[in-house]
Amino acid sequence: MKRAGHCCVFAFLVAASLFAGSARSAQDKKPQKISASAIQILLFQSDEVKLPAEFQMALYEHVIEELQKAGKFEHVYRDGDHAAANTKDLITLRSNVTGFKQGSERARQVTTVAGATSITIHCQFVDKSGKVQLERDITGKVRFFGGNLRATYDFAKKVAKEVQESF
Amino acid sequence: MSMRRLVPTLFVAAVALLSVVLLCPPGFAQQPVAVPDTKQVLGLEGVKHNSTGTLSIEKGTLQFKAGKKKADLPVTSINDVITGNDSQRAIGGFIGTLTMLGPYGSGRFLSLFRTKIDTLTIQYHDASGGLHGAIFTMPVGKAEDVKKELLAEGAKTTIPIEPAAIGQAPASPKKEQKP
Repeated sequence: MKRAGHCCVFAFLVAASLFAGSARSAQDKKPQKISASAIQILLFQSDEVKLPAEFQMALYEHVIEELQKAGKFEHVYRDGDHAAANTKDLITLRSNVTGFKQGSERARQVTTVAGATSITIHCQFVDKSGKVQLERDITGKVRFFGGNLRATYDFAKKVAKEVQESF
Repeated sequence: MSMRRLVPTLFVAAVALLSVVLLCPPGFAQQPVAVPDTKQVLGLEGVKHNSTGTLSIEKGTLQFKAGKKKADLPVTSINDVITGNDSQRAIGGFIGTLTMLGPYGSGRFLSLFRTKIDTLTIQYHDASGGLHGAIFTMPVGKAEDVKKELLAEGAKTTIPIEPAAIGQAPASPKKEQKP
């Protein structure tokens, strides 16, 4: 009986060490960070989904602001900025709105559970040669407090977080 | 006709002419548009987000003034003007948030009271060609007037004002979209 107990403890220790080893190797295999000194944000496209103009502009302005705050790039260029053409390691953020559900602030405040606003956007970080360096579907939401445009701020925060992790 | 009869006639004619000039409104002179209680949601440089002030258009410049801060924008740099409508809580801001803590669901009840507002979204370019966007909210019926004035001063739009909307009263303007 005592021997069986020792065997169990030994098996547990072996399993734990194997798990820790695999976790460590997974950490070692973290994808390499992308190197770029500048980023250009293009205006958000919404080919499939009808997005109100204020949402489109709020997304664009919030993303620029959050990326400037993140401080990962020396320059954050706007769409159409002539200076971006002279930057060598420029990354361009191309975004296409794939989902949009406009909720209701009134419904959120009255019911707490209904009326959420969400925007899903397919984001591509493309280098100067046109190669896609990073591709993500990011969703911005507002569930409880704030107006519908707050979903654009939530989206911008998530883009900045993604940039912090990948660049 | 004697001089005695001519003088009063000329006097009456002069008074009538003067009153016509003074009483008639200057039909073709452009009045500067100013919209108080406008909230700049975001987008103008030098002014904080969600600041309330006066939006005015005069001599080819869009100006937003909130307290001591102000932002000027040449109207010719605006390449899109879009209006819309929305609503906001009747009791907003910090006090509005505090009412959410009211007992017996009174905060939720107060949330039902909302006021309609107009939204105005503009796209403009800076000197280096960079695209900017600005969003304003203003009292209902004002956005269409501002748009008309901006277009008259040289701004562009992707959604032109419909002829029917031009003749309408400003209180019930035709909206392009309902977000």
